[in-house]
Amino acid sequence: MSTETMLFVPLLILIGGLFHIMPGLTRPDLFFAVTVAPEFRRSSAARRILGRYRAIVWIATLIASGMALAAGMAVAAVLLQAIGYLWGLVSANRAVRAYAAAPSAVLEVDLAAPRERLPGGLIVALLPVLSLAALGLWVGFHWDRLPRRLPVHWGIDGADRWLNTTPATVFGFLAVQAFVCLLLAGLAWGLLNWSRRISTTGAGAAAERHFRRRIVQLSIVCEYFLACPAWFALFQPAAAVMNVWGLALVTAIVGFTVSLMRGGQGGSHATVAAGAAPVGDRTPDACWKWGLVYVNAADPSILVEKRFGIGYTLNFGNRWTWVVLALLLVAPAAGLILLR
Amino acid sequence: MIILRVDLKSPAPVYRQIVDAVRILLVNGDLSPGDALPPVRRLALDLGVHFNTVAEAYRTLEEEGWLEIGRRSGARVVPRTAQNRCDPQTGEAFERRLREMVAEVQARGLPRDRIARELRLLAKTLERS
Repeated sequence: MSTETMLFVPLLILIGGLFHIMPGLTRPDLFFAVTVAPEFRRSSAARRILGRYRAIVWIATLIASGMALAAGMAVAAVLLQAIGYLWGLVSANRAVRAYAAAPSAVLEVDLAAPRERLPGGLIVALLPVLSLAALGLWVGFHWDRLPRRLPVHWGIDGADRWLNTTPATVFGFLAVQAFVCLLLAGLAWGLLNWSRRISTTGAGAAAERHFRRRIVQLSIVCEYFLACPAWFALFQPAAAVMNVWGLALVTAIVGFTVSLMRGGQGGSHATVAAGAAPVGDRTPDACWKWGLVYVNAADPSILVEKRFGIGYTLNFGNRWTWVVLALLLVAPAAGLILLR
Repeated sequence: MIILRVDLKSPAPVYRQIVDAVRILLVNGDLSPGDALPPVRRLALDLGVHFNTVAEAYRTLEEEGWLEIGRRSGARVVPRTAQNRCDPQTGEAFERRLREMVAEVQARGLPRDRIARELRLLAKTLERS
């Protein structure tokens, strides 16, 4: 059995575990992306639906692990696990619809709510992009100092993918890195400016602000980490530096993820603990396709809270979402063409 | 904390509900001259309604002399100078609407003492302000 398989199977089981706990992370009056009465979760019907979903997820995970162990079919294993998860979710979503409750038609806004800003301001969010621009300038003035090929990907044993040093590859590589950083900065800004505040008062509002701030911080931290490979490629530091970087990145992502999961979607666990009444997510059930895709042309939000799992998803009914998506696809495609 | 509520099931259009709710906050003194209201985009996002709905509500309040809308500074409450200009029709219309409303809620079964209590409360708030 190869080292990759030894690492891959526990990863599949870890993902299966995440799928297992996902229904418990959502807001208390949403169950498999359907608005229900908060006490519905404790009913026998809810337990039956949850049990069926988890059975599907674990059967798919076990078959996927078997495929990876026996035949080394990693891609097929991942696909199978994803299909199992989607099947479990969609069938549970359909089953819960029979118990749907009418979402509240009353919308509330706190007119005196404090304005949420990027931690450290826009400059902190854009610093990695600016650092890559500075690196590009440095490369332009010191081209003769660059080696013939540059490492652009690193594995456990060091660099494992290289690029021949040409203006197109070097500047293309820097442009792709800068674009990824800009994307994360845009996501952080968008979460504060393109998404809806759901809870307006008390513990719920405070927990939701904290939750949003954590995701914004995660985006900015990832941005700083992802700007590093460009510096590593050009200045090729000692292997120990790379290992510390990798370890720190994984630690940061795991730390933030655990913190977000403990708080629940939108900080809803703290809201429940404080005894505040749940308010759903203020989106209509009818606009959620299979509990996963949100399409609402009447909603000006571009980003909305996911109804299943943790974090945010796009409102595909908003035409600006498609403009953003087009930008997201065009820029990396241009980068890849340059890198070739 | 200054809460604005909109009921999507109400027969009144959302822009009218926003105007009425903000006007109540202004009359009661919850919003004072100099206070800033959320930008149109922010309020529309939080309510999940079109930007034009909120923009129309703000324009109506601006026309009534409650708000000043700047391109960059957003909507801000201003001291209202036009509030004392009142024609006789306004007084008559108020009287008629009040009587109609009292009759309507009485017909719907709201007890007389509850109506009287609410009106007294309203009168006291008005006297205080």
